[in-house]
Amino acid sequence: MSAIIEKRNLTTELESIFLTSGFAADANRTKAFKAFMAMGLPGNKSEEYKFTPITRALEKIFEADAGRDRIETHLPSTHLLLIPDLKCNVLAFVNGTFSIEHSVLLDEDVKFQLTKQDAAANGADPFDLLNQALHPELLEISVASKKLIQHPVAIIYWFDSPQFVFANPRWKFTLGAQSSVSIIEYTLSPGSIYFNNKHSLIEVGENASLEFTSIQNGPATDIQVNNSFVHISSSARVACFTITLDGQLVRNNLSLIVDGQGVDAHLHGLYLITKNTLADNHTVVDHRKPNSYSNELYKGIMNGNAKGVFNGKIYVRPDAQKTNAFQSNRNILLSESATINTKPQLEIWADDVKCSHGCTTGQMDEEALFYLRSRGISKEMSRSMLLNAFAAETIAPMKNEMLRNFLDGLITEKLNKSF
Amino acid sequence: MLSIKNLQAKIEDKQILNGINLKVKAGEVHAIMGPNGSGKSTLASVLAGREDYEVTGGSVDYLEKNLLEMSPELRAQEGIFLAFQYPVEIPGVSTINFMKTALNQIRIHRGLAALDAVSFLQLMKERMKLVEIDQSLLNRSLNEGFSGGEKKRNEIFQMAMLEPKLAILDETDSGLDIDALRIVADGVNKLRNKNNAIIVVTHYQRLLEHIIPDFVHVLYHGRIVKSGTKELALELEAKGYDWIKNELALA
Repeated sequence: MSAIIEKRNLTTELESIFLTSGFAADANRTKAFKAFMAMGLPGNKSEEYKFTPITRALEKIFEADAGRDRIETHLPSTHLLLIPDLKCNVLAFVNGTFSIEHSVLLDEDVKFQLTKQDAAANGADPFDLLNQALHPELLEISVASKKLIQHPVAIIYWFDSPQFVFANPRWKFTLGAQSSVSIIEYTLSPGSIYFNNKHSLIEVGENASLEFTSIQNGPATDIQVNNSFVHISSSARVACFTITLDGQLVRNNLSLIVDGQGVDAHLHGLYLITKNTLADNHTVVDHRKPNSYSNELYKGIMNGNAKGVFNGKIYVRPDAQKTNAFQSNRNILLSESATINTKPQLEIWADDVKCSHGCTTGQMDEEALFYLRSRGISKEMSRSMLLNAFAAETIAPMKNEMLRNFLDGLITEKLNKSF
Repeated sequence: MLSIKNLQAKIEDKQILNGINLKVKAGEVHAIMGPNGSGKSTLASVLAGREDYEVTGGSVDYLEKNLLEMSPELRAQEGIFLAFQYPVEIPGVSTINFMKTALNQIRIHRGLAALDAVSFLQLMKERMKLVEIDQSLLNRSLNEGFSGGEKKRNEIFQMAMLEPKLAILDETDSGLDIDALRIVADGVNKLRNKNNAIIVVTHYQRLLEHIIPDFVHVLYHGRIVKSGTKELALELEAKGYDWIKNELALA
């Protein structure tokens, strides 16, 4: 028996995963994997990941998992709905693989099919390239033109495994012209150890309406990277809500490609984090055509050792005249050791546009706190009222009332418990 | 009702109140006047319990209790109300929800049942008339985007809702035009009765034409240097604060 303990290298590990996956025979996947290898896992020198030590977090998990025996998992046919009263079309990924048994469609206008792989390549992000190389299959969901989908489409990532799961779910949603849908995605797990490396693309047709809500609420072991793309055609209305309440490390790369005129796009984000949670939101709003509007509002409250990261890129291409693009990032730090790194990045090539951005970071507003207390409201209740009001603004425009009320409840509970 | 003895207070390292003595009885209106920087707003803030100020000496008894030991919320629950010189804008909290929470906290403290939504709205409608405030304003976020006059009217509306035993109006006239001043003052006069007391802190005499005080005190360098009746305010208006300063310099 060898006494030498080999230092395991994560990149080598990933290479062996790819080579033994059976995907190496495919040219597209191999190309993506090679591009990933050339780029490498992001270290602390990486511009896009310098505040987010994801590589270190993954190394630890891969290391800890290495010696373990593989055990067959038995999955309960569990109730996957987040809100019992909110009936949804459910599309579930179980431990990273789409599971037809856990999926239920209520609206017949929602169609889906599984394709062996996604030929389309994205690929400026190393994790997106990894997904491109390693996704088990592509879930294609579609809604034809002129369809109003009554129930939200819930895309669920369910993890229940005694060993570490490295998941690469990939889906694409095509929303036809003049159609309307609400998509909700969330992760559920009793506390398994996993890395959910998701890629999604939503194609929004002309004059269609989309509400896309990501709920990231733990467990504490949760590590996820989301490469989410929304491609928007003319006159479409899009509202994205990204709500992070728990987890170990959450990285969201949300890109809106405004590829039409008369688009109305809203990006709202809230990160309400404590303990050692890290929430990193990198957003891109890419205005490629004239006469569209985008409004971005991200807010964070950080307590304990929590770390927030916000990077908001807005591109206004030469053709995108008369663009109105706004961005705002506001943060409250409640403890000495909580941190936020925030960076707006506007690149504007067109000359007839209205763009603005702003970010603020502060503590609890003592003047406001005193005002409420001076009317007889206890310190704790005043504090909770103020934090709630700050947070609630991000979900106020949500049209799905049941979902909004549910999130309101989650936010209040979280604020009362951990802040 | 209120007995202030030799009250001294500082903010950071700056001593502002240098021994205030004042007695206020139920049914009385006291005006505190004085030049800028004399400590008027500090006195109002210390009475309401603002924590930036440190009391370095003296005592304040309110209804036979030690006021200085109470938290700001407890003072409010016990019947003290401060109308802010600069009411705070609080986005995301509607005035209605805020008032309902505050009123019910105070009611519960006084051993009364919390008001249900219907009785609350009824009470609110009735009190809105006192200060001629529109409901659409109250549906909005607290003070957010309100004009100076709307903010001050909202303060008096809150006073009408909470029915304090001792109200302290801190420069309530500042930033008000004549019409708004009259509305605010009328509101205060309607709330005035033999069971409550009001301390009006003001730089100018004009508010006292509408809210007639029983006593006028002049604050200077953190002390009450002159007390009198409403005629003192007129004299101050005519002669200016330099009159007091000179008189003190001669003494």
